[in-house]
Amino acid sequence: MQHEFKFAGDTVEVTVARDSQTWHLGDLECQIMADGRLKLTVNGVTKFAHSTKVGDVWWVHIDGHVFCIEKTEAGSNDDDSQGGMVAPMPGKIIDVLVEQGQSVTAGDLLLVMEAMKMEHRIVANMDGVIGMLKLTPGDQVQQGDVLVEISE
Amino acid sequence: MVSTVLVANRGEIACRILRACSEAGLNSVAIYANNDKDSMFVELATISVELAGETIGETYLDQQQILDIAAEYGADAIHPGFGFLSERADFARAVLEAGITWIGPSPLAIEMMGDKMTARKTMKAAGVPVIPGEEIDFEDETKMIEAIVQASTRVGYPLLLKASSGGGGKGMRKVESPDDLVESIKGARREAIAAFGDGRVYIERMLTGSKHVEIQVLADTHGRVIHLGERECSVQRRHQKVFEESPCPVMTTDLREKMGQAAVMAAKAVDYEGAGTVEFLLTSTGEFFFLEMNTRIQVEHPVTEMVTGIDLVREQLRIAAGKPMSCGQLMMRGHAIEVRLYAEDASNNFLPAIGPLAVFRPPTGPGIRLDTGVREGDMVTPNYDPMLAKLIVWAPSRAEALQRMRRALDDFVVLGTTTNLRFLRELCDHEDVVSGATDTTMIERIWPNGWSPQFSSEILNAALMVAGVSESAGLHTVQATMSSTDDGPLSPFQSLTRRYP
Repeated sequence: MQHEFKFAGDTVEVTVARDSQTWHLGDLECQIMADGRLKLTVNGVTKFAHSTKVGDVWWVHIDGHVFCIEKTEAGSNDDDSQGGMVAPMPGKIIDVLVEQGQSVTAGDLLLVMEAMKMEHRIVANMDGVIGMLKLTPGDQVQQGDVLVEISE
Repeated sequence: MVSTVLVANRGEIACRILRACSEAGLNSVAIYANNDKDSMFVELATISVELAGETIGETYLDQQQILDIAAEYGADAIHPGFGFLSERADFARAVLEAGITWIGPSPLAIEMMGDKMTARKTMKAAGVPVIPGEEIDFEDETKMIEAIVQASTRVGYPLLLKASSGGGGKGMRKVESPDDLVESIKGARREAIAAFGDGRVYIERMLTGSKHVEIQVLADTHGRVIHLGERECSVQRRHQKVFEESPCPVMTTDLREKMGQAAVMAAKAVDYEGAGTVEFLLTSTGEFFFLEMNTRIQVEHPVTEMVTGIDLVREQLRIAAGKPMSCGQLMMRGHAIEVRLYAEDASNNFLPAIGPLAVFRPPTGPGIRLDTGVREGDMVTPNYDPMLAKLIVWAPSRAEALQRMRRALDDFVVLGTTTNLRFLRELCDHEDVVSGATDTTMIERIWPNGWSPQFSSEILNAALMVAGVSESAGLHTVQATMSSTDDGPLSPFQSLTRRYP
């Protein structure tokens, strides 16, 4: 079976084949345990991996590492890495240091927000011009809200 | 005498205290906000009472409501844990005035140590060395800025601005050069007002390359004040500790005796009662300076318990009941290390994370202790502190303790919420941690551009295969459904549905 995933911004195609109780991917072999863990051998050492899917993301724990691997539909490669900077978590805007139309360079401080009793500094992720900016100090924002847009 | 203890806290520390009450044969009362109704600590009390109100201020910080519950349910003692009302002298006073035993030091001791500027003055008077710096007696922003700018020329750079009511890194700013000073004062003041309702800020020289070494003290009402050795907590991110150990790797018997005596002097200077911690900075030349005293049980108290064999919370209960402490001569055995598991993205400036604890499998085995207030299936919300658990290991030597910690961290499985587990695991391999050459600025020094996880392509390929097989076989999934109606907009509600092959 072929699946398309996204990991660290890259699209990856993974094709696994099943032969009785054993799954194959190239030289790798993997079995599903009765408790839902997966048994596989990496560099000659047997590892037991945990996996769980939350929303579209597979969380995989293997050998002390955790990977978040997003399941995507083939062909629906939407580029969400545009200049929209989103709120990392729910919080309150404390300070707005830029205005619409202003030129900024990557690393410039744009906004200060408070979340979980700490101040978080939102800095420009690219060079460009500030587009939409409707926030004023005191505004509440939700996780994932677009705080400010930057266009090249 | 004490028969029923109300625990005015939540989460991990509430669990710790409620279990201690149970072991001491005491009844207990847990109080909880509605969004904590399914939390673990609620299950551990003799009686659990829901608090009215929505915000933290209306629930865990509502003194009158807590006192009313204590009266209604017959609690004759209140344990505040840490955070929340634990260092609020007005609350301690109100508890005592209601005829209830306060499990902690006197309101006056809390006040003298809680206001960091007063504490500095008290320690200087008691002959305990303090960090070079100046108290600033202005509350008005303009006058404060003026006074700090003047003081900065005498204190020198780099310097630290600290909120007089501060703690936990809030209202604290590191200033490298005069150009940043005014902006930093404003930021520290703003954060201090938001967090503590008190904008007073003072100035201290930043002693770079120092170790954070703190001494646990215990004082009973029979005139006995002792220290229980040190904890080193140098490894900090954003002024919050992440890795704590006892003994301190560079400690000598002679230095322990000196620091221990200074801590006992500090406790005596405020007629301390109960368990407390005197924090010091220890410089590379072996000089030590008073930082602050925490007038409560501390997050990292388990490392002291592991090496001394003393149950600090049980001693708190004993002392509050007017009994003498049960500890004999100080005996420190082996080595203990604690790491703090946070729901946070260590690869993105340690930003707190939220999500379901879809899988939560702590490690087990000899010499391993887990203090937590969560379990599998719980939701990590932005409502409270992002600390999920404390993982503590003990072994006969430091090297063995570190090895045990590595194994335990590798075995610790948390999925569904981003945690700092891998960061902690890589920390255990860093040469400065291995050698014990830890200092308070080491995380910024080791990862000046931020940390990102290191892994081999073989492990990544294996993980991708696991995802592919899991998807094909339809393994364990969590349906994260966002609902804004059940728990308010800040608390995404989710339901778990599981399928196993």
